[in-house]
This record gives sequence, C-alpha cells and structure tokens, in this order.
Amino acid sequence: MRRSLFGLLAVVLGLSLVAASCGSDDDSSTKAAFIYVGPVGDAGWTYAHDQGRLAAAAETGVETAFVETVPEGTADFGNYARDFIEQGFNLIIGTSFGYMDDMEALAEEFPDVVFDHVSGYKANGTNFGNTFGRMYEPRYLSGMVAGSATSSDLIGYVAAFPIPEVIRGINAFTLGVREVNPDAQVEVVWTSTWFDPVVEGDSAQAMLDKGADVIAMHQDSTAAGEKAEAAGARWVAYNSDMSAHAPAAHLTAPVWNWGPRYTEIIGQATDGTYEGGYYWGSMADGVVDLAPIAADVDAAVKAAVAERKQQIIDGSFHPFQGPINAQDGSVYVAAGDVLDDGTMLSMDVFVEGVIGSLG
Amino acid sequence: MRWPVLARRDQVLRGGQPLAFGVGLVVALAVGVFLLLGSGHDPLRVYARMFDASLGDPRAWSVTLNRAVPLGLAGLAVAVAGSMGLWNIGAEGQIMAGAMGAAWVARIGGGWPGPVLVTAMLAAAVVGGGLLALGPAIARARIGVNEIITTLMLNEVAIRLVQWLVHGRWKDPGSHNFPLAPMLPDNGRLPTLFERAHLGVVLAGIVIALFGLAVSRTAWGYELRVAGSSGATARYAGISLKRKILTVMVLSGGVAGFAGGVELSGNADRITEGLSNGFGFAGIIVAALALMRPSGVAAVALLFGAVQIGGQSIQTMGVSSSVSTILQALILFGAIAAGVLGRYRIQMVAGDTVETPSTGVES
Repeated sequence: MRRSLFGLLAVVLGLSLVAASCGSDDDSSTKAAFIYVGPVGDAGWTYAHDQGRLAAAAETGVETAFVETVPEGTADFGNYARDFIEQGFNLIIGTSFGYMDDMEALAEEFPDVVFDHVSGYKANGTNFGNTFGRMYEPRYLSGMVAGSATSSDLIGYVAAFPIPEVIRGINAFTLGVREVNPDAQVEVVWTSTWFDPVVEGDSAQAMLDKGADVIAMHQDSTAAGEKAEAAGARWVAYNSDMSAHAPAAHLTAPVWNWGPRYTEIIGQATDGTYEGGYYWGSMADGVVDLAPIAADVDAAVKAAVAERKQQIIDGSFHPFQGPINAQDGSVYVAAGDVLDDGTMLSMDVFVEGVIGSLG
Repeated sequence: MRWPVLARRDQVLRGGQPLAFGVGLVVALAVGVFLLLGSGHDPLRVYARMFDASLGDPRAWSVTLNRAVPLGLAGLAVAVAGSMGLWNIGAEGQIMAGAMGAAWVARIGGGWPGPVLVTAMLAAAVVGGGLLALGPAIARARIGVNEIITTLMLNEVAIRLVQWLVHGRWKDPGSHNFPLAPMLPDNGRLPTLFERAHLGVVLAGIVIALFGLAVSRTAWGYELRVAGSSGATARYAGISLKRKILTVMVLSGGVAGFAGGVELSGNADRITEGLSNGFGFAGIIVAALALMRPSGVAAVALLFGAVQIGGQSIQTMGVSSSVSTILQALILFGAIAAGVLGRYRIQMVAGDTVETPSTGVES
C-alpha cells in the first residue's frame, strides 16, 4: 500500500515537473513584463497601466508579470529587466520617462527582446519603441467642465514637473476652461514629484486657501481631491475615474485606457511585426478618454463637451488650433494654424490664462 | 518586581559577531516564512530565488557587488564620522554633491583620455562631497551647532540643486525639453571588471581598507577614537578637537561624494535626481551594523547589497514590493538586534532602575 502510494506520488511529481518544464521551454509564446514607477494601488498612473496589463492579458492569454515602485535614474530598472529576461520574458514594457536610457541600452544588448517605453522620445526602429497618448484631447474637455463649474474664476492646477507632457496638459486644460469661461484663470503649483500624497494635498490646500474653487491636477495620487472634498470645492482628477475617492468633489477626469494598446503590442511581439516606432494614440484610438461627468453638472455643459469630443475624434476640431495667444499676450498659434506634433511634443510655453512660470 | 535589562557583557561573546549575526539571520528568515505564507507565497522558492539572484552565480555577484559599492562607501562615510562620535546624516546629499562635481568635469572633459577624465571626475566628486560637509563641520567645530541637523537639511539642498541644474542650466538641448542632463561621454565611464561589475568595486574596497587601517592602526586614528570617547581626555592629551572635527567631517563628506562619483561613472547614463537612491540613508544602517568600525563596513555592505538585490528579484515572481521591503527590513533588523545581543546580555534586576545600552557612540 505504502509502496503504491509512493509510486503514485512519484508519477504525479514527475508529471508536474514535465508540465513545468514544458511551460518554461516553450519560447514561441510571448511573456510580457511590466515595470512600474509607482505602486499599483496608487489609483492613478500605475493603477491605470496595471488595468491595461490585466485587460491585455485577458484578451491575449499571454503570461504577464510586473514589478512596482521602481525608481528612475538608478541601476534598478536594468536589474529587474535582466531578471525578467533570464526567466524567459521577451517583452518588457517600462512606464516611466526615466527608464528611457536603460531601455535603449538593453534593446541593443538583447535584440530578441521587445522593449516598449511609455513617454520619452527614443526608439530604434527594430525592438525598442515608444508609446504615448494624446492626453491633451480629454484634458481640453475636462477644462470645459471645470470652466463651467468655477464661480471664483480661479482654478488651481497641482502639477508634477514643467516638462512638455505636463505643460501640454495645462495648456489644453486652460484653453478648454476659457472656451466656456473667458474670465477664468488657471494657476499652476509645481510639486516636483509624481507621487507624494502629502505634498500634493498641501499644494491643493494652498490653492484652495487662495480662493480656487476647482482643483485640477497632473499627479498620481488622490490627495488633491480629498482636500477639495473637505473644502467643499470641485476636482478634476487624472489617470483613472477617481470618483470613489471624493464623490462630492469629483467632476470628471482625463483617463488612460492602456488595454487596447498593450494588446496590440503583445500581438506584434508575438507575430514578429513589432517595428520599434513611435505611437501617439488619441481618443479616436481609445487610449485616452474622459471619465463620466458628475451627475450634478448641467446637461448643457455635458452636451457641449460631447459635441467637442465628437469633433476632436472626427478631426474637425483640434485643441491647439489658432488663434491662441501665449501667456505674455504674443501670438502663439496664428488663426487657421494647428500645432504640429513636433511642437506639441517639446512644448515649453504657457498659453494666455495660465498663472505661473515654467519652473 | 524584577525587570529584564540589557547589561554590557564583560567579554564579547566567544565567536561573537559572526555567531550572533547567523542567529539573527535565521530568526529573521523564520519570521519571514510566516510573512510569505500569509501573503500566499512559497517561502522556500522565494528564499531560493533571493539567494540565486544575489549570490547564485558570477552575474548575480556582479550585480550585488555594484550595489554594495555605494552602500559601503556611504556606510564608511558615516562610520568615519562615527568613530569620533559625530553623526553625518548627510551622505545622501553628499553623494549628490559628488555626482554634481563629477558630472561637471564630464561636461568639460569630453575630449580627454578615459583614465584622465575618470580620475578627474572622481577627484571632483570627493571635493564636491567634502564641500557640502564643510559648512556643518565649521558650524560644529566653531560654535557647536549640532551636525545631525545641518547635515540632514543639506540633503534636500543638494537634491534640489541637481533638480535645478537638470531643469535649467544643464538641460540637454537635444532632450525635447525633458529635464535631462546630457549623457555621459563614453570615456567618462568606469571600465567593467566582469559581468555587470565595474572598477568601482575595487576602488571602494581600497578606500574602505585604507580608512579601516587609518582609524584602527595609526596615531591619527587613535586620537580620533580618544576624542570620540571623551572630549576632556582628548583635550588633556593635547588633541585639537576643533581641527579633528573639521578634518573628519570633511573626509566623511568626501567619501560620500566619492560614492556619488563612482555611482555616476559606473552605473548611470547621466546625472539625475534619482541617483542617490537612498544609499546615503542606508549608509547609516550599514555603519550601525558595522558598529561604527570602518573596517567592518565592507562585509555589511555586501550583505546589505545582497539583501536588496535578492529582495528586488523576488518581486519578479509576484511578491509585492511592500512584502519584499518588509522582508529586507526583517533580515537587517535581525542582524542589528543580534549585534546588540552579542555585546549585551539580558539580566533580571530588582527595582525600577533601567539601564539603557549606549551604541558606543557619544554625540
């Protein structure tokens, strides 16, 4: 009896070993590793990426894994990536700007592995490409909602760093605000951090104390919204629908929807069609969108936003179409002109209506 | 009523530190088993992975050694100051100051031969770190300002200075307005030893050995330790405390600055505000584990590096970063606690006199 039990055990063990080794030897399938800059529980940037990972995994059925809170500008990214590659992962997606140089070097060292970098400006045309989204589109729409909601005509904008992505968002938001409310102004507070709930909250509070009654943000936590909620003010969130965190304050949020893009990258990595180019997805592609607008917002505002959204999607309206003045009153975009991608990607000018300086 | 208190052992435990350390490690790993089981992981697989990724093969060793370099040098910086009873909490900022010095040299020396450029970068790093420590050193030596506060606050200054540089003056014109300094020239990079390990491993080893000898075997080091244990005795023996404080603090800052230069030249592509990566603060733990003895920091830094690299690696198998961080902290805490118990014993005493152990360092 005992003998046969051992025999059975040995067979089961053997079978499971065979199964395990089959799994790891099968290198025709794609294994995708995601390297995140923040915690997946941040409800913001990293949370949105992880939702995208889960969606793509469900869609494609490939094995995925992730590491979170990986600092930029250190050896850590390379260590994690090598670790994954050693375990048979052949697609590495890095979701922060500071990973760019590491990914470029790793792509050269591991030509059989696909590296896709979210944000940044480098690609190699083969196995290292760049992905980002035209967040300025929903930012503009969220500005329309905020501009209608303010009665003090002062909107506080809690922002991380004066880099093109953030500046573009502030400008698009302000243009949306002033389309519906030409007297309103948007004041920027820099936090010098992507994720620091204490600093984000303090910055929002400073703007509320100054008389702002709507807070917008380019941050990864929900702290600014919690301050707005406590002060009875309104809040335009970012990254994902954050209405659960400040139900009374939440107006809407420009949001990321990474699932379709990650599904596409996994597909290309699997069938060998990945090209290592530049991808800048729009609302039409579904990569960026506007979260549902709060129930208490006027139907007329919602209708105006819906109309603009449709025009942006079909190309008949562009948030950066002239005439647009710069902060100092000079002409930034002439009437009839539209900013090209190159200018938008390296934007270093505030538009009229923004209070604050670039650093 | 009887209370348990810690009493200093007359003699350090036979086989002392290594034994105590081993016991601490085993206890920590045992506690970690519950943590891992509780979070749904197989402890054996996790521990095996931790070991493989940090010490399992030459590649793993090379990664661990690279990590041990900034940890060891930062630990040395704290320990050098600590051997005369001073607390340098500013290694984090001094690492940044050193990296700034090195990056500045790299900006002007793009055309120099590699060995010349790298040497100049590392020298500038030492100067940079030393300069940042100079203020607190003078304030402490002249008017007795607590160096813990001043060095701590300068960390923020140094990090913001790097931020200011990469957002402005040093911004690469080719970076599409991203806040990035230009990439280091290829001749400004430390040569590779094996796998991932760079020459900084050897340089750090030499620096740590030199300071270890200087503090434990020379008259200068003896004076240092005398000054650390009793200022009055030192004065009576004719040792100039002010001068000692100045040189030791500046040397300590210089060592941390050197770490910044090595990290930049060996591991980074360009200077960023993330470069110091908490190494300066971790250095305080390294120095404490090494009982403030410069000669001890190398071994501790190697352990610390292995724990960090192993702890990071298990995240690729699904262990969350918080569980991994708790596990790393457990292991280091176990080692520290064991270090204390190696030198103290638990004694039951009557009454309410409670004697607290000193760390061996007077501030």
